Amino acid sequence: MAADGNSDLVIDATGVVKTYDTGEVQVQALRRVDVRVPRGEMVAIMGPSGCGKTTLLNCLSGLDAFDEGQVLINGEDIARMADNEKTEFRALGMGFIFQTYNLLPVLSAAENVELPLIVSGTRPREARERSLVALERVGLREYAGHRPAQLSGGQRQRVTVARAVVNSPSIVWADEPTGALDSATAGGIMDLLVELNANADQTQVIVTHAPEVAARCHRTIYMADGLIEREEATRALAGAPA
Amino acid sequence: MEELFGVSMNAIAIVVVAITLVIAVLLAWVAFRNPVMFKTGLRNIPRRRAQTTLIIFGLMLATVIMTVAFGTGDTLSNSVTGDLYDLLGETDMVISWDEEAHPRPPSERVIPLAEVDALRERFADDPDIDGFLAVLIETLPSVNPATGLNESATTIVAYDTAHAEPFGSLRDLDGAEIVLAGNEIAINEDLADELDAEVGHTLFLLFEGYPVEVVVRAVAPNTFLSGSVNFGASSYPGGAVNFGFLAGVLGREDATQWVAVTNAGGVKGGLERSDAVEEKLNAALEGSPYKVEALKKDLTDFVATTASVFTTIFVVFGLFTIAAGILLIFLIFIMLAAERKPEMGMARAVGAKRRHLVESFLAEGMGYDLGAAVVGLVAGVFVTFGMVALINGVIGEAFVVELRTNLTPRSLVIAFCLGVISTFIVIFFAAVRASRLNIVSAIRDLPEPVATNPEAATWRGYARAVLNASVAGGAIAVSAFALFRLPEFAPLFGIILLFGLIGPYVRVLRRHNFGAPRRERIEGGGIPLWPFWLVPLIPFYLVALLVVRVMRDRDPRVGFWLIVLGVLLPPVGLLLAASQDRDRPIAWGAGYGIVGLALAALFMEWAYSSDSYFFFAAGVSLAFGWAAFTLRYFRVQERISFTVLAGLLLAFWYVAPAGTLDFLIGGLEGGPEMFFLSGIVMVACGTFLIVYNADILLPPIATVGARFGRIVPAVKTAVAYPLTARMRTGMTIMMIGLITFSLVMFSTVNDNFGNIFLSDDAKGGFDTIVFVNSNNRTDDLVAALEERGVDTSPIVAVSEQRVAWAGETEIFWDGDGSGPGLTGTFTVIGADAAFFEANEIELKRRAAGYDSDEAVWSAVASAPALAVVPGEFTDTAGDQFSDFELLKLPPELVAEDGFEPFQLRLRAPGTTLETVITVIGQMDDPGDVFWNGIIVQRDVATAAFPDSGSQRFVIKTVDGIDQEAFAKSIESGLAQASAESFQKLLDDQRAASQGFLLLFQGFMGLGLIIGIAALGVIAFRAVVERRQQIGMLRAIGYQRAMVALSFIFESGFVALSGIVMGAVLGVSLSWVLFTSGGIGEASEGGDFIVPWLQLIVICGIAFAASMIMTWFPAQSASRVAVAEALRYE
Repeated sequence: MAADGNSDLVIDATGVVKTYDTGEVQVQALRRVDVRVPRGEMVAIMGPSGCGKTTLLNCLSGLDAFDEGQVLINGEDIARMADNEKTEFRALGMGFIFQTYNLLPVLSAAENVELPLIVSGTRPREARERSLVALERVGLREYAGHRPAQLSGGQRQRVTVARAVVNSPSIVWADEPTGALDSATAGGIMDLLVELNANADQTQVIVTHAPEVAARCHRTIYMADGLIEREEATRALAGAPA
Repeated sequence: MEELFGVSMNAIAIVVVAITLVIAVLLAWVAFRNPVMFKTGLRNIPRRRAQTTLIIFGLMLATVIMTVAFGTGDTLSNSVTGDLYDLLGETDMVISWDEEAHPRPPSERVIPLAEVDALRERFADDPDIDGFLAVLIETLPSVNPATGLNESATTIVAYDTAHAEPFGSLRDLDGAEIVLAGNEIAINEDLADELDAEVGHTLFLLFEGYPVEVVVRAVAPNTFLSGSVNFGASSYPGGAVNFGFLAGVLGREDATQWVAVTNAGGVKGGLERSDAVEEKLNAALEGSPYKVEALKKDLTDFVATTASVFTTIFVVFGLFTIAAGILLIFLIFIMLAAERKPEMGMARAVGAKRRHLVESFLAEGMGYDLGAAVVGLVAGVFVTFGMVALINGVIGEAFVVELRTNLTPRSLVIAFCLGVISTFIVIFFAAVRASRLNIVSAIRDLPEPVATNPEAATWRGYARAVLNASVAGGAIAVSAFALFRLPEFAPLFGIILLFGLIGPYVRVLRRHNFGAPRRERIEGGGIPLWPFWLVPLIPFYLVALLVVRVMRDRDPRVGFWLIVLGVLLPPVGLLLAASQDRDRPIAWGAGYGIVGLALAALFMEWAYSSDSYFFFAAGVSLAFGWAAFTLRYFRVQERISFTVLAGLLLAFWYVAPAGTLDFLIGGLEGGPEMFFLSGIVMVACGTFLIVYNADILLPPIATVGARFGRIVPAVKTAVAYPLTARMRTGMTIMMIGLITFSLVMFSTVNDNFGNIFLSDDAKGGFDTIVFVNSNNRTDDLVAALEERGVDTSPIVAVSEQRVAWAGETEIFWDGDGSGPGLTGTFTVIGADAAFFEANEIELKRRAAGYDSDEAVWSAVASAPALAVVPGEFTDTAGDQFSDFELLKLPPELVAEDGFEPFQLRLRAPGTTLETVITVIGQMDDPGDVFWNGIIVQRDVATAAFPDSGSQRFVIKTVDGIDQEAFAKSIESGLAQASAESFQKLLDDQRAASQGFLLLFQGFMGLGLIIGIAALGVIAFRAVVERRQQIGMLRAIGYQRAMVALSFIFESGFVALSGIVMGAVLGVSLSWVLFTSGGIGEASEGGDFIVPWLQLIVICGIAFAASMIMTWFPAQSASRVAVAEALRYE
């Protein structure tokens, strides 16, 4: 389901093409993909391995460059941004969650969570306070001083969620956020994401293989061979016409 | 160069080549037996070319150091020996008066020509001797009226030029034989240059003030036969005349001073007959007052020894670099192992044994090793050329010959093999360590699980650790060392050694299926066969097989006291080790700690029995190591135990040389080896202090960093990483710290000694020194100069001095009543009244009753029986470089101001004439440079030594004149005088000292490359390891620059820690050693200076180079493609 009315679009991507050139072989990972996501929507991207899900997420979030097309995030054309601008744009307005957590093993949970704040210029004391609040939200306040190696997989992913939302981003990108977790823990993480989406009016784009994760989102985009095959509304977006 | 550390270079070459061949055979065997693992290892080499380059660069340093050290020795030896052959030609031996055995005044020390004829006749048909030549040698001033130039010290040799054929004859520059007649002279090239003299010129030789006319017949190359006899000087102005001519001038027609002897066999071949000829001549001269010296052989031996000393110094200074290099090799392979962990885990999972992993690692490691040794050899040759050019260019004047780079094939082979062997040993241990991995953890790239030891922190576990360490090599190490040190207990330690040799085999067998208990054993599995290759040890292996066979199925549970018994009784220990539970963890650190303690005890015995401070300090350091391992075993918090022990050990290294422990170590002596030991131990202690406490220091640093807003994120990650990888951080800090320590300490000590000895105080208030030829003395220098038109108006004061040099004096100290007296020789300087009035030489000590330096000098000026001695008179340092047995008195005699005046008796050798003097003062150390003699009144000196008395003048001038020009004007005016500005002499010595400093700093600075390479290896590795984390950081908003900055800060922290630690330890230890007199009495209580500029340069270069090396991986990290990195595993 595409959003109606461009003014409330957080993500507006048109004709995105991405080709990987390995020297001998050229692989077209995205073939003129159009995606539109309104504010506050939780979108799942599904599809078989190698269909271009992660590439799409990377291109939309500005982590990777694309060859053709246009991606507007909150109305800003990220292809026109210099690397530093793009990085700052991510720091201020985006959060990321990855399947393998990607926490810094040498920092405590609180230090990991406060990193995006420190990067965006928040004073250290305020950053620490906000990181503790974020950890409180994910139920890990008492583990603030623990290092990743001292936490379980589910706890690590919750730290990642806290890190993704600590700077109140307008978009959270999640690449297989529950891929490394058992179903009960995965359910807990999804509860958390749904709650954040509902309470903070956050737009979330989640790449997943798991139908139960997609089922918790408002809409699911199915991809195959670098193209959007179909889209399916899974639950109603608050405020959207029924 | 024939020896190193007293061991023949040939023997060293044979041993290292043999070991290298064994390594090569071992590798070939691995390649043949297991080609897959071998290829796996080799194929890893080109995988990361930048990293491979860096590894080879780091590994090559050991070979470079060895090549340079040996190359410098070879060069020195070859250049000087070559010059020596050129100079001496066919002259091999000399016969002269034996002045030590038969003291006589110089005029009586002659050999009648009849004796020479007798020798000639006696040995006419001797197959070893080609001939004898009576030679007179005299130093006279010479003047060339044609050019107006003069030379104050011309060596004139006189012999029968018509009969010099066996000696190769006197020859001109074209090789034509010269036979001199009448007053003809053949001048050598140096004299021709000095006087600008040509064939046909008439020269004047001055003798007792009168000119003796000679005509230049030819110009000859610089050889013994042309007057080049002053070996060791930088030039040899001289000439040859007929014997009869000079004898007539000197009035010694019937006698000679020297008899030159030429051996059969030519210039080099004659050398081999020296011993035989010396024996024959000694027999012939028995009972006579003459002695035989194998001149050429002695000089070539001296050159070889000097070259060996030089090489030894280079090797000792290079030890820091080699130690740092070993750390680097270990670090590199630990990191390679970390990188390959999942691959190795998979290999183990599919059936590869630990041995296969070790073999694979060895194959890879030896690829790097051989590459590095070849590159190191080539680089070493280039560096040697550079060093020789530096020596010739910067400090050429300090050397008497121009060095020509020479590297013998033997030296190159040794350097190559030593590089290969040292790297192989480290690689082997690193490979064994890397092969010990948990398969599951390795595949998942997780930290190694720590095995739970149910006996941890218990006395039982401790006893078992000691038992196992003893069985696994500890008993061998301790008993072998004890056999060496305590031969009186040889039976006891011999038995322990025999049982000790069985122990390692028991350990091996217990790990093997053969040693497994019944429930784990696969029947019919056989025994390890490789021990049968070690033929001499086969009996021990057979006993081990028997012990394990008997004990493998026994109940492993034994009581605590039985284990203790096993430690004390090796046979019981072997049985227990063979029956214990195979899977029970062993606290090896604690076990080997006790082995270290036992070795420490043996070191202590060695220290006290040989008065060696080195072994005492090494023993104390080992004991601290034991304490650290033991406390850790008993779970005393590591930070506390390592910090306290490292701090205490550091304190020991400061307190001991400061004299606080003299009641314990007062009689022990340390040498240059202490430099290396102190460096290793102190830097290790400093490193422990840093890595165990940096987490306390770093938050404040991060807080300071927080003030700089945008760099906070970079600081945050930069300080977090090094502290979580303590081992690699510690090793890198230690590498950099070691090199910085050595550079800073060398520089600081050198600068401070330079400050003492080469300060302007050395001039003693005078500006110019004038040496007058002893055959042509002048009573009134100023008048003589004015007579020759020299401007004497700048002269403020002139002092005439007569000097009886060491060797021309006999001096007796009758003792202080507590023991026997001492006898020896020392220079005596007789000074006139002007000297005592004008000199500004400071005194270190004054005798009782003299309250100022002036009081002492004026007392000596007025009382003929009084004297002042130099600082060196009570310091035995450097005596080994003297040709004579110098008289040195106990320092206690002049230990403090107000010392009791004491008497010395002066006597001219061969006479009964004695003069008693009383010492009332000792000069400060700068005085040793120009006034290194016992100073008495001039008349006292001339009376005591009437046949000696070289004449010299010292002049004080008005300020602001050109001292060098003034000295030259004196030389040009007075043919018999050579003059030098004191300032120039000092400046030359300072320049030479600085040159040496530069040379050694450059050499030791090579080690910095290792520390820097280590930082590079770590940083490159970190980029690979943290690729995914870098991707995440970039995703959440780290700019490229921030990522790069984080890497640079991280390396900066490690580099700065090492540099600051090394500098602080180096300066502080120098201060302690210097001010306490720990490195020579001269410095005791002296003003210590910190050479800030040099420190800044050393530290600055080290830091800048570290940052440059980190720059590349930092840039590579910042360019990581975010999306790709996040996917990277």
